[in-house]
Amino acid sequence: MNPKTIKYIIKRLILAVFTVWVVITLTFFIMHAVPGGPFMSEKAVSPAAQAALEAKYGLDKPLGVQYVTYLGDVIQLKLGPSLKQRGRMVIDIIGDGLKTSAKLGVIAAFLALAIGVVLGSVAALRRNTVLDRVIMIITTAFVSMPSFIVGSLLLVLFAIKFHVFPANGSTAAGLVLPVITLMLYPMSYITRLTRSSMLDVLGQDYIRTAKAKGVSKWRIIFVHALKNSLIPVITYFGPMLAYIVTGSLVVEQIFAVPGIGRAFVQSIINRDYTLIMGTTIVLATFIVIMNLVSDILYKVVDPRINLE
Amino acid sequence: MKKFVALMLAGAMIFSMAACGDSAVSGNAGAAAATGTESADAGTDAAATDAGTDTAAATGEGISVSIASEPASLDPALNSAVDGATMLVHLFSGLAKWEQKDDGTLELVPDCAEELVEGVENADGTVTYTYTLKDGLTWSDGQPVTAGDFLFAWNRAASVELGADYGYMFEVVDGYADIWADGATGDEKLNVEAPDDKTLVVTLTNAVPYWNELLAFPTYFPVREDVVANESWATDPSTYVNNGPYVMDSWEHNSVITLKKNDKFVDADTITMPQINFFLSDDANNMLTNFQNGDWQMIDDVPTNEIAQLKVDYPDEFKVEGQLGTYYVCWNINEDILPEGSGLSGVEAENARAEIRNAISLLFDRNYIVEEIGQAGQVPASSFVAMGLTDADGSEFYKNAGDNSGYIGYYNVDAAALQENFDKCIEVLKKYYDYDEATSQFTNFPSMTYLYNTSEGHKAIGEYLQSALSAVGITMNLENQEWNTFLETRKNGDYSIARNGWLADYNDPICFLDMWTTASGNNDVQFGRGDHEKTAAYDLDLTDLGYDTKVTGGTWADTYDVLINDIKSCTDTKTRYALMHKAEDLLMSTGAICPLYFYTDLYMIDKNLTGFFSNPLGYKYFMFCNY
Repeated sequence: MNPKTIKYIIKRLILAVFTVWVVITLTFFIMHAVPGGPFMSEKAVSPAAQAALEAKYGLDKPLGVQYVTYLGDVIQLKLGPSLKQRGRMVIDIIGDGLKTSAKLGVIAAFLALAIGVVLGSVAALRRNTVLDRVIMIITTAFVSMPSFIVGSLLLVLFAIKFHVFPANGSTAAGLVLPVITLMLYPMSYITRLTRSSMLDVLGQDYIRTAKAKGVSKWRIIFVHALKNSLIPVITYFGPMLAYIVTGSLVVEQIFAVPGIGRAFVQSIINRDYTLIMGTTIVLATFIVIMNLVSDILYKVVDPRINLE
Repeated sequence: MKKFVALMLAGAMIFSMAACGDSAVSGNAGAAAATGTESADAGTDAAATDAGTDTAAATGEGISVSIASEPASLDPALNSAVDGATMLVHLFSGLAKWEQKDDGTLELVPDCAEELVEGVENADGTVTYTYTLKDGLTWSDGQPVTAGDFLFAWNRAASVELGADYGYMFEVVDGYADIWADGATGDEKLNVEAPDDKTLVVTLTNAVPYWNELLAFPTYFPVREDVVANESWATDPSTYVNNGPYVMDSWEHNSVITLKKNDKFVDADTITMPQINFFLSDDANNMLTNFQNGDWQMIDDVPTNEIAQLKVDYPDEFKVEGQLGTYYVCWNINEDILPEGSGLSGVEAENARAEIRNAISLLFDRNYIVEEIGQAGQVPASSFVAMGLTDADGSEFYKNAGDNSGYIGYYNVDAAALQENFDKCIEVLKKYYDYDEATSQFTNFPSMTYLYNTSEGHKAIGEYLQSALSAVGITMNLENQEWNTFLETRKNGDYSIARNGWLADYNDPICFLDMWTTASGNNDVQFGRGDHEKTAAYDLDLTDLGYDTKVTGGTWADTYDVLINDIKSCTDTKTRYALMHKAEDLLMSTGAICPLYFYTDLYMIDKNLTGFFSNPLGYKYFMFCNY
C-alpha cells in the first residue's frame, strides 16, 4: 500500500469518528427533546418514585451535564444499563440483537452474491435469449417489490398454507423465510449488475485478443471476464451488507425475528435513552466502517480511481 | 496481481463475517438443544421441515404459548405488566395464590402460608396478621425459604431506592407512608417482622378487604437478599433463583423463555405441565400464524380485523373473558366548551359544563361501538368502575351504580333507549347553544380535538365519536400521537378530550376511584388543578353513613379528596362500599368521564389443552394443564 493510500485511510478514519460524534450529539438532543420519558406508563408512578429513578440514572442533572457524562462513558466504551429492561446492560441487548441480525444478514448477503453472480453471468452469456429475458423479468420484479410484500407472501404460502416453515423467526428453521425475503432484493440487484458489467467486459479489446490467441471459451469467461466484471459487485457488497444487517427491520417485524432492528424501534417507543444511544452508535459506526471499507476496496481493485 | 489481492481481501472480509455468523448459529443450536426441542427431533427426516414446530408439545412434554413480547422485568418487585405477572405466578410462590375450584370459579388459597389468617385489630385501629410458613419451602437453589425473605422482599419492593411502578401496592401496610414522606431519612421500614424463620407478622394501617388478593400479587412475592444483590439477577437463568412451581430453564431474549417443572417445589406433585415455552412476540399476526400452524397452543392476542372471521372459523378455540377494565373518554375539566358570550362564570359555568358533558355522553351508541368496532364481546359501559368488581354483598358493583331508575349505571345504554337519550341530549344542549331547527344542528359549539394514541382500533372509535357529534353540528377533530408522547400530553392536561382506559390492579373499586384525587399521577382530567382548583361546585353529605362531613359548595379537594381518604381509612365493609358508590356518583356528576365499554380479554387456546384458567386480572395459569 502506498503512503498516499495510508494517508487517505487515516483521513477517512478521522472523518468517521467525527461523523459518529455528530450522530451521537444529534441523537442525544433530539431524543431528549421528544416528549415522554423512560418512566412514563399508563399507570403513573408517584412523583417521588419518578424522582428517585431519575436520580438513580442521572436524568435529574442538566442536559448539558448528562451529555458530557455520556460522551465520557462512550469514549470508555461504556454504554450503561438499559432504563426500561431493568438489570440488563445496553451492550448485552445490542449484542443479542446484532448476533441474530448478523446471522440473518450474512447468510442472505452471501446467498444473494452467489446466486446473483451466477444468474447475472448466465444472462450475459445468453444475451437476448429467452433465458436472459426470464431472468431479467424476475429480477426486475424482485427489485421493485418491497420486502413486506415478499415477506407476507412467503409467510402466507409456506408457513400458513403449506406448513413447510414456522412463522416465528426465533428457531433455525424459522430463519429460512426471512433470509429468502431479505436476499431477493440484493440478489436481483447483483444479477443485473453482473449482467451489465459482464456484457461491458465481454466487449473489451483484451477479451477479443484472448479469443484471437485461441484461449478456451471457459477460461475466457472465468479468468478474464468474470474477475473484472465482479469489481462493481464487490464495491456494492460492503454497503449492501450494512444495509441488510441494519435495514432488515421490516423483515424482522414480519417474522418476529429478535434482531437489532426490533430492539431499536422498541427502544424508541419506550424512550429507553441509553438503548437508543447505544443502538444508534453501533449502527452508525457499522455503516461508516462498511462505507470506508468499500471505498478502499474500490481503490484497490481499480487502480484508475483516484482516492483524492 | 492487484485484482487478486482485492479478491483475497474481499474474501477475507466475507469469511470473517461468515465466521461471526457461524458462532451465532452454533450458539442458537446449543440453546435449542438445552430446551429439549432439538433432541426429540434427532435422527428423523422430518427434522428439516419440522424443526420449528414444537416437538416437545407433540410428544406430550410441554406446551408453547405466546402472551406478549419480551417482559420488561421478571423481578417480581419491578414487574408491572400482566404478561410478566403470568410468568411470575409460575416462577414464584407468595403467601396466597389463585386456584380454580371444581365448579370453575376462582378462589384465593394459601400458598407459602399455612393458612390465610384473619387480622387482629389493635387499639390504634391498625390490624395485625401473623402468618406461619409451610414446612419444606425451598428456593430453586436448595436453600430454605424463610419469613426473613418475605420481610426483605416487601421492604425492597416498597423502597424509594427501587422506585418500582407497583411500590404503592404496599400503601395499605403500616409504615409505607413514612417511607415516602417528605423528609424521610431512608431508614424507614414497613411494619413487618419476622420473629423466627417460619413466622411473618405484618401490620396494616386498617383492615382492607382485598388483603388476601394482594398476597397473591407478584409484588408481594419473596426474593432473597443475596440473589437480588446482583442487579442483573432476573435477566438470566443462571442467576435466577425463585421458589415457585417452575424454574427458568432458558431465556433467549426477545425469543423464548422456557420454564421447567421445579422438582424441589413443595407441591410439585400437583403440577401436571412439565414444561412451558413462552414465545415472546408482540405481533398479533405472527401469533395467529403460529397458532394456526399448530406450533403454539395458546396466544393472548389476535389481530382486530380477523376477530369476526376467527369467531366463525374457531368456535372452540376463540375465547372471550371479562377483564376488570373500562374504556372511556375523558374531558379536560378546564377546557371551556361553553359558547362565546354565554355570560356564565365560576361555579355556574362549571355546573353548565358538567350538564353539557353528561348530555354528550348520551349521544354515543355504545352498542354500535362494541358490535361493529370492538367486535370482541365488550360490554357497553354506563359507569366507570368496571364490570367484574364486587360490591359489599358479593353482587356486582356496577349493577348497583347510579340511581338505578330502571337501568344499570348512570345512563341507559340499551339499544332501545337510543332515541330517548338523543332527545334528552338535544334538549340539554339547546339551553346553552343556538340550534338551527331546519338542519337540526347546533351552530355555536366550539370545535374540539379528540386525542388518541396511534392505533387502528382507537382511530375507528374516534371516527365514530366524531360522526356522532357532527350529526348535531359539533365539530371534533381527531389527533393521534405516538404512545409515550400521548401519555405525557394527556397527563399534563394539554388536550380538550381524549381516549382513556383503566385496568384494575385488584378486585376493589378503590382502584378506579383513588386515581381521581387532586394529587394523583393518573388524574388526567385535571380535577382540582388549574382553574378547577378554586371551583367550589360540589356537595358532599356523609351524615347518613355516620360521618360528620357535610359540605355544600366545596372544591374538589374539599369533597372528593376527603371522600377517598375516608374510604381508605374505613374499616366497615358496608360503609366503605357505600362511600365508594358516593365517590363514583360525584365523579360521574362532573360528566368529565364518559365510559364507553368494559374491556374483555381475548385469546385463542388449543381445544386439547385442558386445565387452563385465567384470573380476573388476566393472569394465565398453565401449571395444571394437560395436553
